[in-house]
Amino acid sequence: MSILSEVASIVLNGLQQGAIYVLVAMGLSIILGTLKFVNFAHGALYLIGTYAGMLIALEIRVGGKLREWGYTELGLGWGFIPALFIVPVLVFAIGMVMERFIARPFYDRPDTDQILLTFGLAIIVQESFRTLFGGRSYSFDLPATVSVPVQVPLIGSYPLWRLILIGITVALVILVYLMIEYTDFGLVVRAGTADAEMVRLLGIKITRPYLVVFGIGAALAGIAGVVGGPLYAVNPNIGMEVLVPAFLVVVIGGVGSLTGAVLGGVLLGLMQAFLTQFVFVTPWFSYSFSPWAQVGIYLLAAVILLTKPEGLMGSAEVGT
Amino acid sequence: MSDEPRIDGGTDIKRFRALRDRYEAVKGEEYFVAIVAIIGLLAFPWVFIESPVVGEFLDGYESLASLILIWAIFAIGFDILLGYTGLLSFGHAAFWGASAYAAANVSAYLTGSPLVMVIIGTGIAVLLAWGLGYLSLRRGGIYFAILTLAFAQMLFYMASSVLATYPGSDKALTNGENGFTEVSLDPLLGTFELSSDMPSILGEFVGTWHYGFTAIFTLLAILAGYRILNSPYGLVFKAIRENEQRTEFVGLNVWRYKLMAFIISGAFAGVAGSLFTVHGSYVPLESLYWTASGEVVIMTVLGGAGSLFGPIFGAAVYLWVENIVSGMGIIGPFWHLILGVVFVAVIVLIPDGIWGLPRAIRKLWAYITNLGGGT
Repeated sequence: MSILSEVASIVLNGLQQGAIYVLVAMGLSIILGTLKFVNFAHGALYLIGTYAGMLIALEIRVGGKLREWGYTELGLGWGFIPALFIVPVLVFAIGMVMERFIARPFYDRPDTDQILLTFGLAIIVQESFRTLFGGRSYSFDLPATVSVPVQVPLIGSYPLWRLILIGITVALVILVYLMIEYTDFGLVVRAGTADAEMVRLLGIKITRPYLVVFGIGAALAGIAGVVGGPLYAVNPNIGMEVLVPAFLVVVIGGVGSLTGAVLGGVLLGLMQAFLTQFVFVTPWFSYSFSPWAQVGIYLLAAVILLTKPEGLMGSAEVGT
Repeated sequence: MSDEPRIDGGTDIKRFRALRDRYEAVKGEEYFVAIVAIIGLLAFPWVFIESPVVGEFLDGYESLASLILIWAIFAIGFDILLGYTGLLSFGHAAFWGASAYAAANVSAYLTGSPLVMVIIGTGIAVLLAWGLGYLSLRRGGIYFAILTLAFAQMLFYMASSVLATYPGSDKALTNGENGFTEVSLDPLLGTFELSSDMPSILGEFVGTWHYGFTAIFTLLAILAGYRILNSPYGLVFKAIRENEQRTEFVGLNVWRYKLMAFIISGAFAGVAGSLFTVHGSYVPLESLYWTASGEVVIMTVLGGAGSLFGPIFGAAVYLWVENIVSGMGIIGPFWHLILGVVFVAVIVLIPDGIWGLPRAIRKLWAYITNLGGGT
């Protein structure tokens, strides 16, 4: 493989990995930036998205308590496309319920209480799935039409689904950006981010946009769950596994900044892909960096935070 | 309330009141805390395992009693950070796991003396806490929680892959996903076998040297915690929790105190982690995973952050549920879920934790009786 094709392959893999981070981090970031609410249960929404998507798309043989209760095969088996559209709506609704009954009573409580509450919630969701479906891993199989490899210039064959995933992410990022920047709804949200009290004084019911923002953030995590779920084994731990890098993306990108979330996500994705594939070759020895892939993203984050504590796109006064 | 002459006469009641006043006077004193802790630690195994009714219900065993004390040390240290300084760390698994691995490595390659293992393990944890604290404390509040979580996860991934063996050799450092198994323990101080009973009555009622060894560290942890929190130094921690900005205005270097609080709690975690290696002779990779951080958070909050004995109580409840309740018929398989629900309920309803429950009830009771009194 020539150097050029290798670089292209790293970039594509990085974008694909980054796309998942971006989707999850974007929701986290707008919720954190607008509502000033820390959602440790955001990974749980991803988890719900994956399991819901799997149950809508396929019929799976379940384990855990469900099996003891007499279910062996569960799921609607409607196929992947319906799942892609139903899950966001479902998780959007869950997000709104969460905002109304869980987040809202805690807006006036200290940050630590919010973190603890949502952390507890994440555990409840995760353990519910573990009890019901068992701790084992499921495979979320994609339909054959999208799992086939296609020919990409420079790289050769590449799984079609990963390309679609990148496409979906780009579309969603643009959609959310347009909504926040160019609609009346987005105007209220941005005004609320700047000064919620003033918006209320102007006679705008800020609680309603909050409800929707939380819902959108949740739906993005849900979509991430559906599109990202098939790439890895599905088990109750995936929520927390994706939450930690996503949080990191938010912190290094700068809270509340969409550009920051995208930049941070892509950066971490590229870093991870680079380390996974890069082999340091000299005439005497060769060293593969793939064990460093997971470590590398944290190191990168540490370096960015040491040089720019407010994040790449963050304003200096936000945070602390 | 107390001076309300509702029940007059009866020397018993007077005597009881005198006793209660005496208790109120001494309960904050250091010697009282020490005596209560010593009695508690001595009586705990008997109450937990052998005592009639209570022991039968609790259904404990000695190894679990030691494990509870180990996690209690961890939780006390964590509470210094969360309950007193107001910093929520989600990365304490790093110190717990790193010290456990350090102690394991000491026992495998250097000496099996439990004391040396604990000292070196704690030292490693302190150094690590210094580094991670320096990085994580650059951002406050939620970012602190996220950063500690992230760096602890980084350590976890390092332990699972690049640090599995010493660089350039195949000697196990963490031994990756299999966990570190080559722990070999020497007798304590060269004479007392850890798994053998302590002499005479101590062995009869309290148990093995291992329990004694752990209990001594627990006592030291309680006393150290008490000393720190009741010193002018600890007062600064509380000031930071109440209002960081004002503390800064008074002229105190808030950042330095926060870092110190982080290091101190890391040291407690280090003692606990090393004792964990002594306890199990095995270090699983999961000891660095975020679940370990989550567990200590749950224990501390469940028991009651901001009190000395609350976290100990929380550790006991958590481990009891994890090890005993999980084996009970119908509710057993749901133990983790139940803990999650109880945890959320505690945060929403009683932020002072289960340890603060009596006070909350007393307050409520006083409120109700005052309503009736019509004052």
